[in-house]
Amino acid sequence: MDELRDPRKTFGEALLEAAQNNPNIVALSADSSSGSGMTPFKEKFPERHFEFGIMEQGIMGFASGLATTGKIPFFAAIAPFVTARPFEMFRNDVGYMRQNVKVVGRSAGLTYSDLGATHQSLDDIAIIRTIPGVTVINPGDPVDIVKAVHAAVAHVGPVYIKVGSPKMPVLMDENYPFQIGKGVVMEDGDDVTIIATGTLLSKAAAATKILKSKGIAARLINMHTIKPLDRELVLKAAQETGKIVTVEEGYLAGGLGGCIAELLATELPTPMRMIGVDDQYAPTGPYEELLSSLGLQGEQIAETVEKFLG
Amino acid sequence: MPKLNYEEEKELAKIAVRIRQNVLRMIKAGRAGHVGGALSCTDIMTVLYFKIMRVDPQNPQWRERDRFVLSAGHKCLALYGTLAEKGFFEKSLLDTYGAMSTRLGGHPDMHKLPGVETNTGALGHGLSIAGGMALGLRMDNPAAKVYVVMGDGELAEGSNWEAAAAISHHKLDNLLAFIDRNGLQICGRTVDVMSYEPLDKRWETFGWSVRVIDGNDLQKIYKNATDIPFEKGKPSMIIADTVKAKGLPFAEDKVNFHYWKATDEELEIAEQALQQIEEGIK
Repeated sequence: MDELRDPRKTFGEALLEAAQNNPNIVALSADSSSGSGMTPFKEKFPERHFEFGIMEQGIMGFASGLATTGKIPFFAAIAPFVTARPFEMFRNDVGYMRQNVKVVGRSAGLTYSDLGATHQSLDDIAIIRTIPGVTVINPGDPVDIVKAVHAAVAHVGPVYIKVGSPKMPVLMDENYPFQIGKGVVMEDGDDVTIIATGTLLSKAAAATKILKSKGIAARLINMHTIKPLDRELVLKAAQETGKIVTVEEGYLAGGLGGCIAELLATELPTPMRMIGVDDQYAPTGPYEELLSSLGLQGEQIAETVEKFLG
Repeated sequence: MPKLNYEEEKELAKIAVRIRQNVLRMIKAGRAGHVGGALSCTDIMTVLYFKIMRVDPQNPQWRERDRFVLSAGHKCLALYGTLAEKGFFEKSLLDTYGAMSTRLGGHPDMHKLPGVETNTGALGHGLSIAGGMALGLRMDNPAAKVYVVMGDGELAEGSNWEAAAAISHHKLDNLLAFIDRNGLQICGRTVDVMSYEPLDKRWETFGWSVRVIDGNDLQKIYKNATDIPFEKGKPSMIIADTVKAKGLPFAEDKVNFHYWKATDEELEIAEQALQQIEEGIK
């Protein structure tokens, strides 16, 4: 069994570490510092932590204004409330103004499984990637989360990082060279390519193992950056394996699947299957059961791939 | 309270006319523009840029500078006219208003024009951005101040009230906002479309220190806006009662001059009106 780590705690520790090395980092909270893992930051740097209460539109503007003065604001809160709710502020004040703001949508995807559609964030990737100049990162494991935070600090410009909340298995080597915009081949294979992102990377990895046991060599790619997309890696995989499957905890429309379909349709038409959440409000219930009901468990992903291969 | 002497006031009045002439010049070039709000806030812009704010047209990114945020971005003609008058860019650029790929868009873009600090246009964004600026400046650059011009119609955007609360909560007393209360918006009188009156009491309740003045009176603007904060620990607010399209008698306080598609004849009358004001300054 892989080691499990809490993604929000992991984010908070990475933020604290980054802040120790960079005095310009400030943290903004929408009555959500503890839930976003920012308590250690708040305790260590109370003068760099700002509480705003539940006003995400206002905070997005404040983040932009702070960035104009040279600060690097990290605004972390529940994913739909930092993406869908203040979308226009994200687009205009952060994107259009090209400000060095880092927005972290936590408890993203279906992870608020029992709280329902208002608190689930299945459209964040789709809407935020429409904003020109915004980097969109969806880390696949706790190692990725830490590396994404440091990469976001090093990158000058707006970044959105999507983070779940159930504990995640460690899948990546602590020393691997994370680079924004560069996917990682985790398993080689020539029969099909599975491109997975974020919280479902572990499920895709499980599916890859199952397929291997059945003699199907699936290439597995951890696509931790949605934008800019690693076009070369996708096109190479399409060329070499001839079939592409995408896996994500989000809407098919506009998400990773949509993103890759856009690329392949124009550059190298390739048969595809897109695994994620189709056009619906997901039911509520325990997280793992919810994933099962939507066909997002490892065995189910393997089954879908098998059917696709015929 | 500080006071402009006779010469200073006369000089500012001349500048205000020249800024209004710059506005007209852009409308002439582009054949249309948001004239009403630009001219109602011109006197505020004049006093801010020529008497109060510490800015350097030769070094627009000067770290110690004061910041200006035009929350009501559609009043950009006033901002462009002021920046041109202050020397941030050549006045010939004003003639590109309305042209393809102009640097002077229908709403301001900070990446296209020196002196523009924010990209505004969608209403209800500027005050939050200004709040962030004030917070950042207070940490590293405490002498710098942040000035904001908002519209009165804009106040219906709920995001303003998030900003109002946060700026007060964080005690950002290095910020002064103006509400350019010209009383009109696209569909009629602001109080009829969506009233947030009484504005003074609302802002006071949100923790701001509020003054209400004649916003087309240069002396009153100067007297009231020069020393901030009005009260230590509180953000300052000037509710400026203004006349929409101030300076053009045929357009003043008329709802259909929010956005003006100018005819040649109207432009000529407008030019004459401003010339008369200029000649009347003694």
